[in-house]
Amino acid sequence: MSAHNRGTELDLSWISKIQVNHPAVLRRAEQIQARRTVKKEWQAAWLLKAVTFIDLTTLSGDDTSSNIQRLCYKAKYPIREDLLKALNMYDKGITTAAVCVYPARVCDAVKALKAAGCNIPVASVATGFPAGQTHLKTRLEEIRLAVEDGATEIDVVINRSLVLTGQWEALYDEIRQFRKACGEAHLKTILATGELGSLTNVYKASMIAMMAGSDFIKTSTGKETVNATFPVAIVMLRAIRDFFWKTGNKIGFKPAGGIRSAKDSLAWLSLVKEELGNEWLKPELFRIGASTLLSDIERQVSNNLCLWNKLTRVFEKGIEKSN
Amino acid sequence: MRTGVIGLILPPTFSFLEMMWRICPALAVGCTVVALVPPASPTPLLLAQLSGELGPFPGILNVISGPASLVPVLASQPGIQKVAFCGALEEGRALRRTLAGECAELGLALGTESLLLLTDTADVDSAVEGVVDAAWSDRGPGGLRLLIQESVWDEAMRRLQERMGRLRSGRGLDGAVDMGARGAAACDLVQRFVREAQSQGAQVFQAGNVPSEHPFYPPTLVSNLPPASPCAQAEVPWPVVVASPFRTAKEALALANGTPRGGSASVWSERLGQALELGYGLQVGTVWINAHGLRDPSVPTGGCKESGCSWHGGPDGLYEYLRPSGTPARLSCLSKNLNYDTFGLAVPSTLPAGPEIGPSPAPPYGLFVGGRFQAPGARSSRPIQDSSGNLHGYVAEGGAKDIRGAVEAAHQAFPGWAGQFPGARAALLWALAAALERRKSTLASRLERQGVELKAAEAEVELSARRLRAWGARAQAQGHTLQVAGLRGPVLRLREPLGVLAVVCPDEWPLLAFVSLLAPALAYGNTVVMVPSAACPLLALEVCQGSQFVEWASAGNLKPVWANRGCLRAWDQETEGAGPELGLRSARTKALWLPMGD
Repeated sequence: MSAHNRGTELDLSWISKIQVNHPAVLRRAEQIQARRTVKKEWQAAWLLKAVTFIDLTTLSGDDTSSNIQRLCYKAKYPIREDLLKALNMYDKGITTAAVCVYPARVCDAVKALKAAGCNIPVASVATGFPAGQTHLKTRLEEIRLAVEDGATEIDVVINRSLVLTGQWEALYDEIRQFRKACGEAHLKTILATGELGSLTNVYKASMIAMMAGSDFIKTSTGKETVNATFPVAIVMLRAIRDFFWKTGNKIGFKPAGGIRSAKDSLAWLSLVKEELGNEWLKPELFRIGASTLLSDIERQVSNNLCLWNKLTRVFEKGIEKSN
Repeated sequence: MRTGVIGLILPPTFSFLEMMWRICPALAVGCTVVALVPPASPTPLLLAQLSGELGPFPGILNVISGPASLVPVLASQPGIQKVAFCGALEEGRALRRTLAGECAELGLALGTESLLLLTDTADVDSAVEGVVDAAWSDRGPGGLRLLIQESVWDEAMRRLQERMGRLRSGRGLDGAVDMGARGAAACDLVQRFVREAQSQGAQVFQAGNVPSEHPFYPPTLVSNLPPASPCAQAEVPWPVVVASPFRTAKEALALANGTPRGGSASVWSERLGQALELGYGLQVGTVWINAHGLRDPSVPTGGCKESGCSWHGGPDGLYEYLRPSGTPARLSCLSKNLNYDTFGLAVPSTLPAGPEIGPSPAPPYGLFVGGRFQAPGARSSRPIQDSSGNLHGYVAEGGAKDIRGAVEAAHQAFPGWAGQFPGARAALLWALAAALERRKSTLASRLERQGVELKAAEAEVELSARRLRAWGARAQAQGHTLQVAGLRGPVLRLREPLGVLAVVCPDEWPLLAFVSLLAPALAYGNTVVMVPSAACPLLALEVCQGSQFVEWASAGNLKPVWANRGCLRAWDQETEGAGPELGLRSARTKALWLPMGD
């Protein structure tokens, strides 16, 4: 993973005059989905690329070491061997980007990945996931313990009450403290956009999170009623672009929750390419938090295998062409 | 009641939707259509073929594919009752001149430019998407004039330029492109415009993923165009966006209303009050708040000023193809050798009335301008004779200078009068009605001297008073809300006053016609300059020629014109004297779109 975002000083003038117009953003979201579809053999390339962005996630109450082990194995071999061989992609090292688990299961995950001989990072959720309504002291301690256990990426949840009451300095301070507690681990800040009330709040929260030193901003925990939707993503991507214009730092983006079909994942890739450009289409700057998406991609690949036989050439050229 | 045969003329680059919007309402109310289309677009021919296959009504839609020189030929065909013209401004003007006095009515929908007003309280990224919808997509008909508040100028320009870099152009049927090409003629037009703008010192920025073959032109952003240059007043072609800064909302309104075109505009502001103020203040046919380019068949779409005053969609679109039942079809009153340059300039030479015999009837009436009687500029009066040939009185002879003074007074009074709330306007009309009733016996006796029977005269006065009251009551109804499918939020159909109306009254029913024309104009908030009837039937011929002259002269700045061509109108009948047609003509529609959501 690339260098950390050191963050900047808090500058409230970056968010004071921001207004986001909801109906206009909705119209833009529809337009992107309609206009930038990917077809034929490029679709295969994009799907495999999408696999490399997945943070394979399991966040259930009934996780034990056995299903964590299966998860880690799946992370190392996401697509069936024979399918990859047919596409000439067997030896290209296609794995998911990371594995995401609860703090108590980090040890199991690290052990399973080491046994499989895989060096993908283990990401842990922390700070009172998913609601975040616990004392600050325990939240910080959770981060430290997860990092000690071997997690190299931490997904923290912000305190929504601070956003809803407009306490931006307090939010900045909290996330700064999370940053410090993470140490060398990468910090992903979950904004829980479904609970923030308006798109303007989403933009402001994104900016504060980036100013405070997040390496990634993430749309949602996956446990809210409304998770990752296109309008919210457009606002967050615009915030990332504005932060890049102001400071030169590239912050990553992760939508999570509600991305279940291969077609959805292609739409998400199109969105990031359209709003931010090709540089953001790498695992260091883009992740998809999903659990059932992988099986749907595998199904799509196996169904359409006969149509895709020019894949290696396309994949090597990268995904600049989309049509 | 439907109008009859419609002649439709489409411009070289029309969209399928535009064509359907003009043909379908005409067919729906029962008119038949003859369409003239440029030969490069065969789509209407296909539509005509489909309609011909529909069974027992062949010939309801006829399509002729031909060059622009056929336009006057089609327009002057005797069977056509209305010509609907969409296209460029100069051709519209020329058509207006050739059709003056002909029996065909003319509806003009000119120009393709729109306007976008970006204030500093807007969501700039979404406004940039609005610019893309307006100018750099296949949905927008023409170029865009972009007004950006100075405090967000840098931000807006940066985002615009970055967004332009991501646009893709290509063949229209490719689903993944944003915009296509519009033909070689459009490409040449835009190249000329951009070259001229550059030579006048503007900065031109072009970007986007565009094939380099000929008819494809990249999205273009022109800024720093000096306001005095001719390009700043000319219509902006597709796909150019001309950006200029403004400081305050008042300045924005002045800049926006300063162009001679008045098609459509959008206002981007998150402050409701400011958005509505700008929306109401813009002199255009359609205003979108925080959106651009939304269209729906149930919302009237049209323009004002040089964008022509024909409408499509909504009730106004249907009224284009209807006329009040019972009114006769329009007659042609064409006089071929009407000399437009000298019409109306000659001073009528009336001999001074002979030496007065007997008591002088009354002091001469002056001209009523600006609230009081004043003497005419030429200081001459004309004798008015009653039906038995005796001298009835003197009225002042007004001239061009008096007209100018009257129009100026009307302009000065207009903002205040239009700003009055409807109750005040109604109160004035009711007061006028009361005054009329108080002087009923005097008015009746005057009418009697003009040859009207006493009973009929009294009835006329009473009806006039009643008309005034009726229009006073109707001053309250000022537009309504439409619900549009697919849009969350209202669309308001506003009825706005036109401004200063010039009314030349007919000779029949001298009092009633005068009142019937005055009342709706005032009720809707216009100010009027009225020329009452000359009380002499010999002048009917001149009125007829006057209709033709008025229609011809309106081509100058394309004012909406309503002329009766010398036909008598039954002012005492409800439909003709006080019907909805009068109300329609007295005001202008504006559609205000208010998408909602947070």
